[in-house]
Amino acid sequence: MKISGTSHLTPAPTVVFRALSDPAVLVRTIPGCRRLEALGEDTYAMTLAVGVGSIKGVYDGHVRLTDQQEPVAFRMHTDGAGAAGTISADVLVTLRDAEGGGTALAYDADASVGGTIGGVGQRMLVGVSKRMAAEFFRNVEAVLAGAPADLPDGAGASKPSGRASPGLPPYPSTAAPVPSVRSSVASPGAVYTPPPKGRGREGSTFARGVAAGAAAALAGALVGAWVSRLAQGREARRG
Amino acid sequence: MTLFGERVPRVEDARLVTGEGRFLDDLGQDALEAAFVRSPHAHARIVDIDVTDALDVEGLVAIYTHEDLEGRAAEPLPLLIPHPTLTHGRTPYALAKDEVNHVGEAVVMVVAGDRYAAEDVCDRIRVDYHLLPPVVGIEASRGGGRLVHDDVPGNVAAVMVQETGDADAAVDAAPRSLELDLAIERSASTPLEGKGVVARWDADDRSLLVHTSTQTSTSVRQAIAAKLELPVDRVEVVTPDVGGGFGVKIVHPWPEEVLVPWAARRLGRPVKWTEDRREHFVSSAHERGQLHHVRVGYDDGGRLLGLSVRFWHDNGAYTPYGLIVPIITSTQLLGPYKVGAYRVEFTSLYTNTVMVTPYRGAGRPQGCFVMERVMDAIAADLHLDRTVVRERNFIQADEMPYDQGLVFQDGRPLIYDSGDFPATMARLKDLVGWDDFPAFRDRARAEGRRVGIGLACYVEGTGVGPYEGGHIRVETDGTVVVSTGLTSQGQGHQTMLAQIVADELGVPFERIRVTTGDTRRFKYAVGTFASRTAVMSGSAVALTARLVREKALGIAAQALEADPGDLEIVDGHVRVKGAGGGTVSQVDLGAVAVLANPLRYAFDEAAGRATQFAAPADPDVAPVGPGEAPGLEATGYYSPTRSTFANGMHAVVVETDPDTAEVRILRYCVVHDCGTIINPMVVEGQIHGGVAQGVGGALYERIEYDSDGQLLNASFMDFLMPYATEVPTVEIDHLVTPSPLNPLGVKGAGEAGVIPGSAAIAAAIEDAEGITLTRMPISPSELFHLRKERLVEPVETTEGHT
Repeated sequence: MKISGTSHLTPAPTVVFRALSDPAVLVRTIPGCRRLEALGEDTYAMTLAVGVGSIKGVYDGHVRLTDQQEPVAFRMHTDGAGAAGTISADVLVTLRDAEGGGTALAYDADASVGGTIGGVGQRMLVGVSKRMAAEFFRNVEAVLAGAPADLPDGAGASKPSGRASPGLPPYPSTAAPVPSVRSSVASPGAVYTPPPKGRGREGSTFARGVAAGAAAALAGALVGAWVSRLAQGREARRG
Repeated sequence: MTLFGERVPRVEDARLVTGEGRFLDDLGQDALEAAFVRSPHAHARIVDIDVTDALDVEGLVAIYTHEDLEGRAAEPLPLLIPHPTLTHGRTPYALAKDEVNHVGEAVVMVVAGDRYAAEDVCDRIRVDYHLLPPVVGIEASRGGGRLVHDDVPGNVAAVMVQETGDADAAVDAAPRSLELDLAIERSASTPLEGKGVVARWDADDRSLLVHTSTQTSTSVRQAIAAKLELPVDRVEVVTPDVGGGFGVKIVHPWPEEVLVPWAARRLGRPVKWTEDRREHFVSSAHERGQLHHVRVGYDDGGRLLGLSVRFWHDNGAYTPYGLIVPIITSTQLLGPYKVGAYRVEFTSLYTNTVMVTPYRGAGRPQGCFVMERVMDAIAADLHLDRTVVRERNFIQADEMPYDQGLVFQDGRPLIYDSGDFPATMARLKDLVGWDDFPAFRDRARAEGRRVGIGLACYVEGTGVGPYEGGHIRVETDGTVVVSTGLTSQGQGHQTMLAQIVADELGVPFERIRVTTGDTRRFKYAVGTFASRTAVMSGSAVALTARLVREKALGIAAQALEADPGDLEIVDGHVRVKGAGGGTVSQVDLGAVAVLANPLRYAFDEAAGRATQFAAPADPDVAPVGPGEAPGLEATGYYSPTRSTFANGMHAVVVETDPDTAEVRILRYCVVHDCGTIINPMVVEGQIHGGVAQGVGGALYERIEYDSDGQLLNASFMDFLMPYATEVPTVEIDHLVTPSPLNPLGVKGAGEAGVIPGSAAIAAAIEDAEGITLTRMPISPSELFHLRKERLVEPVETTEGHT
């Protein structure tokens, strides 16, 4: 299944890259992201709560990054497995200077979905994935603009003000990163969750962050699709 | 007392009229429900399908397009009836792939918690189309300027010619000749219950149970197994009560009959779809639409010497049912007549409209209209009575069986097996008082009223093969369980078949239970169409009952220590002939059923009599001998060499309003010959229903497309069906000429009533108005304008010259 899309972000590629590299930002901007953990070099584990239409549920997934060409491209591999099926996706993300300023970001994914997760139809999987990716980049843009990131429960445009967003301090998009007290983020075991009380960004390498971010948006959508069956099952039993 | 020929009340009715019927939509209350996004355009390429806005609808489960289909489910639906002359047959995909060819073609399937949610999702799915020029109507299609299918030149699906002798030469050489252009417009079966499917997938058993409102459950079963690539024995199809079929439900598999089971398997949950009225109008099937050009040659006495017919048949966007409708038109057009040399050539044309498949009458109303218009035209030309011209061309009773020299829809020769057309005509003239009508007309005229009389004759090939079967088992309580594979749509099959079994087996009618259309009970059948149930399943269960009777007599003979030849079965008891009802000399069939199944275990008292120590038995004889089988049951089949031909003649008296041109039917008389009659009440019910649809086809029903292929009257507000207020009292007389082709001597009666409706009513209106009618149906406004044209014609011509 091919999923591709583009997004325009106001800041320049380097700035976007930097933002995408920040796990603390990502955990705020990935739709439905509950938890992000650095497992090791270029590898993250994440927990997502996804809820779009009939697609609802919680998912644990992994992401690995390769082929980083800072600051213009990277390739990301994500996979997940669950009772309802398996997912794997390879995503190529590219950034370039957009005409008239800002960043033109493009993602191109080749996803394979196994098991009953595929049962809801390709158009639905693609539709949900694209919407979550778009929402992810909207959130990133908002953070870069210094606005608080909206953290809907993966509800996307359907619930634009889905929940009160933990405020983030304005992000100095031009200033150099300020090393945080937890500068050991790169090391395995570092855990990020959306702070009840918003905290500033944590320093980290581009790669992990971008990988986690793009992966989360896509994998979250894909996984959301298969957990939706569980949700449907519950609805049916209620009905 | 024999029940064959008796007016036995229908066993179905008490259940149906008290709301105990189980129709498709009564089933699957726990199922997810499907709805479809259908094309709003007659001809277009699908550019994009965007579901984004639909994702948030609560209850959405799945959205499917053609790209989700795999394997044979992604291939076009089957061409059910291939024919060598169908050189360009085309069938649709279950879900449109790339292109749509008529308004209503399914593009996206949505599955949701209920139909409401599914419809909401459909509303929010955006399909972008690139519009293509639509081809609507026969004239537009035969021009060939625009194509429905790029790979079908001239929009021609098939050209077929049949001839006996050199018809055109015969017409040219005839003392007198006429040319007529005639037209019948599009109509549709419009059963009150539309289509519907419920499918349950058993993941443990890897099997499907499908309920569908069809006229052929056995063939739907085969089609689903093929499309879903399942072993046939993993699929069972059950037809519940069906609220009318009239032909449209013989087509299969409908896209929904593939997609609903496919989705049920994919989702692992029951899925249901019930067609709504608009869906039925725009996505099922239509019929009737044909244009005919006729050349006929005859002598001064009105005897036909040659008949040459060329007609164009609008087959809609696809041809899954092959050429059956135009083939029937081209052969049954001949009616009860000897036409001399005959040539018929038809062209079956594609249009961007709903596909065309048989609707009760199946091409015969068109053929009958053409032939009977010809007869009336000859009578007018020669100033002869219309009945005289017909009588002079009838095939005579002593000429039966009569070979028309053509090939019929079953691929067998068109040979009329029996019938007495002159006798039928004589009865019709008596029934309607044909010879007294001129006096009646004069009296009416004196009162300023316009009345007219018309008649039409038809021959209907019924009981088309290849076969039907039956299974009969006598239970140990004496209940007789009968099953046949074809389906029922309310015709009274349970009653009619039980009457046959009651007589053949000698059991009380009340002890008989008949099941139809359930592949779990009977797996070999063809279907319910072509007025074939009484002929095919009736004969099959009769032959099967004789096998059961033979077995019962053999077993009872041992119990009664009598010769089977001395035994008879009366009222469910086997007894020695003429011995009366003494318990010693008789045994009931339930007991015979017990003895027919040698047992080791006595699960109840009756069973005890069949266990090993119950009675002394020959130790050297096997309990179940060679060639024998346990149980008092049998399976039998009936397969005829060819169709049997029923016939009938209708006469209609109409009155037309001098001001409003409203047409009122004063009398409707039917003389009907369907061979031996099993249940006159059921036959008359079929005739009443048929006449009602014939009246509808003549005066009310028509499918109206605009030039863009939009269906303008896809609702019962706009598509007029006759109500009780429009259907006249039908006066019926029966003539019985038994068929020599089947053991019961019966012929089909299901479609007969509809066939001559348009022909007879057109003739009656023509007689009342003095205006020649060449196309049906006719509305009051059309008649009004025909009157106007006749009056202003000279004025127009003078104006034309100024």
